[in-house]
Amino acid sequence: MPGSSPLWIEIVTRHGHLLQRHRFERDEVRIGRGYDNDLILDDPFVAPRHVRIVRDGNNALAAEEVESANGLYEGDGKQRAARIALHGDNSIRIGRTYLRVRDAAHAVAAERLVKARPWTWPLMVGLVIALVGMQLASTWLHQTTEPRLADYASPALAFCFAIAAWIAMWTILSRIFSGRARVQRNLVIAVSGFLVLLVFYELAELGAFALSRRGLTSYRFVGLWLIVGFFTFLHLRAMSAAHSRFKAGAVAALTIAALGMQTLAGLQARATSDLQSYVRRLKPPEFRLVGTQSETRFFAAAEGLKTMLDRSRTDQPGEIDEYAVDDDD
Amino acid sequence: MTSVAARLCCLALGAALGLDAARAAPPENLSSVAKGVYAAARPRLLQIRTLLGSTERQSSIGSGFLVSADGSAITNYHVVSQYVLEPNTYRLEYTAPDGERGSLKLIAFDIANDLAIVQLDKAGQPYFEFEKRALADRMSRGERLYSMGNPLDVGFTIIEGTYNGKVERSYNDRIHFSGALNPGMSGGPAVSSGNRVVGVNVSKRMGGELMSFLVPARFAAQLLSRQHAPVALSPEAIRAEIGRQITQWQAGLYKTLSAQTLPARTFGPYQAPDSPAAWFSCWGRTNAEQVPKPRAMLQSTTCNTETSLFVAGDLSTGQLRVAHSYAKSVDLNDFQFAAFLSGQFRPSWFGWNRKRHTRTRCHEAFVDEQVKEAPPLRAVWCARAYRDFEGLYDVSLLAVTQDRANEALVTRLSMHGVSYDNALQLGKRFLAEIRFAR
Repeated sequence: MPGSSPLWIEIVTRHGHLLQRHRFERDEVRIGRGYDNDLILDDPFVAPRHVRIVRDGNNALAAEEVESANGLYEGDGKQRAARIALHGDNSIRIGRTYLRVRDAAHAVAAERLVKARPWTWPLMVGLVIALVGMQLASTWLHQTTEPRLADYASPALAFCFAIAAWIAMWTILSRIFSGRARVQRNLVIAVSGFLVLLVFYELAELGAFALSRRGLTSYRFVGLWLIVGFFTFLHLRAMSAAHSRFKAGAVAALTIAALGMQTLAGLQARATSDLQSYVRRLKPPEFRLVGTQSETRFFAAAEGLKTMLDRSRTDQPGEIDEYAVDDDD
Repeated sequence: MTSVAARLCCLALGAALGLDAARAAPPENLSSVAKGVYAAARPRLLQIRTLLGSTERQSSIGSGFLVSADGSAITNYHVVSQYVLEPNTYRLEYTAPDGERGSLKLIAFDIANDLAIVQLDKAGQPYFEFEKRALADRMSRGERLYSMGNPLDVGFTIIEGTYNGKVERSYNDRIHFSGALNPGMSGGPAVSSGNRVVGVNVSKRMGGELMSFLVPARFAAQLLSRQHAPVALSPEAIRAEIGRQITQWQAGLYKTLSAQTLPARTFGPYQAPDSPAAWFSCWGRTNAEQVPKPRAMLQSTTCNTETSLFVAGDLSTGQLRVAHSYAKSVDLNDFQFAAFLSGQFRPSWFGWNRKRHTRTRCHEAFVDEQVKEAPPLRAVWCARAYRDFEGLYDVSLLAVTQDRANEALVTRLSMHGVSYDNALQLGKRFLAEIRFAR
């Protein structure tokens, strides 16, 4: 039918990301694997003459099955249909191919304004400098032997490589799943994440001494995993804002699994080897925040351990029990 | 070059002297005594073998000797310890020098002196007497002793050596015997030229030459003189008995300690209790000669007791250790110095075995008596119990001074096989003695 308005058939991914777009100037478009179609799909699960796109009397678009064993479905649906009305936002599935049909009248979102973001690069450079500086400072504060350039350069370099690999992974994933690499966003998230990790690691050590709570170092891994989980979620969200709940749930599940594994490994290690737990890392005395005890009170508490030891005499060696848990007394 | 020359010269001289001595003395003298001693001792000697019950193969060997007409023999506890601890897995057997074999019954054991009495399945054999002068502690240094046993399962052997008095730095009495004891001779007798028992072969010092040790005969005589019903060989009863003996032994040790004053030793601005008794063996160490020049100076002393008691192949107990490390920053900042100090801030105690010990529990705190004389401390008390022996623990007390950021004293006290009360008592005395030097 000459004079009909053009329509666009888009081959999309399962998640609706565009792969190809084809323009047709007719009211009926035949789609299939055979060469007598208007649009040829090389999907082996598509029939030679699978489906056709038609425009009905009201100028509305619809897909109709022609002849196929696999059939026609709407989106990811399970209900096979002979005819599906197309309104531009839904997709149809034939074989393993997803198609979306839109005509010229399809409304698009308003234009987004290009924002100048002058702070992005300084922010990123600042963050990277802060991170490397923090890393070097941490090495310096634990340096008790002859200072050597390699002691500083190689961990810093290894650290940079690790972060670069992490960022590369997320930009590649982002490019695959959302079509855009979003290097800046991923870099800011990754670098801030590592910075938070590093600061938390050192603070937990300092806090364990200052507050005389060994739990802060022995359970430091909980905080570390939560931080990793949170920043992983931020990376996922940077990819696209869609499915936020699902992503949060998946990250939470993974974090919990990691925590569970590490807790189990820790409990088993404590049950089968002699990990004497006390705050091993001393800090300068002026960082002490808790009060002091008298010797009498110290030895009274030491005496209190006896009951616990006597009770664990009868445990099976290597068994995980309540005493395997490293609590502060 | 000169030192090599000097050494060669002395060796040559020694050889010349030896030749002179050989020419001067009738050659058969010494060896004929040994010949006589061995001939008389031969029917009284035993090899004691621990057999793995299921395979009838020996799993450990030692020696022993008859001491009464009813067939009682003395050996070391460590020779029969496998059988004592696992009577259902192992059994004991003796082999006499004439090749005769038979089974052995365990009568008694003494962990503190590493002795055991076993009984042969027959009576009426000749047996050894104890040397009266040894029981009365009137032996003279330099006296010739003859030690017998079956070293490394090669056959019964007699060894000549010298009585060299009591080991000075030992809480448990041991005779220093300058002779070549070898594994397998444990439990064999060391006799005077009159063929009377002076001591029981027990150990030798690795890394020394002819440094061997005997259990004095009086402990064997004492053990024998007590009336014994054969040991009930249920694992519970054995464990209770071992526990009882260690408890009794440590009670004596810690009572002796509590009667001593703790001498103070000065470390920079601090003083700390040091080597409480003569039977502590102390060593000092410094990092001053290290290259490159260390960035913090470290001075350490360690005092150990030679009080280790053998209980099982995987368990020794009874050790005591006092160790101090004084550190002072040369050019480390406060954080770096704290990191340096962390390397010293560890308990210095001996191995852990999950079969034998419970998990270690620790209490830690900042301790301050709020007095002018004593610095504030960070103190850690770690303890673990012996699974098999009720009332016995390993305890470690660890403390570091907290009054300065560039200088500190780390103090460690480790007590193995101690009752909790004794550990607390010594721990309290110890911590109270960490003070500023006057």
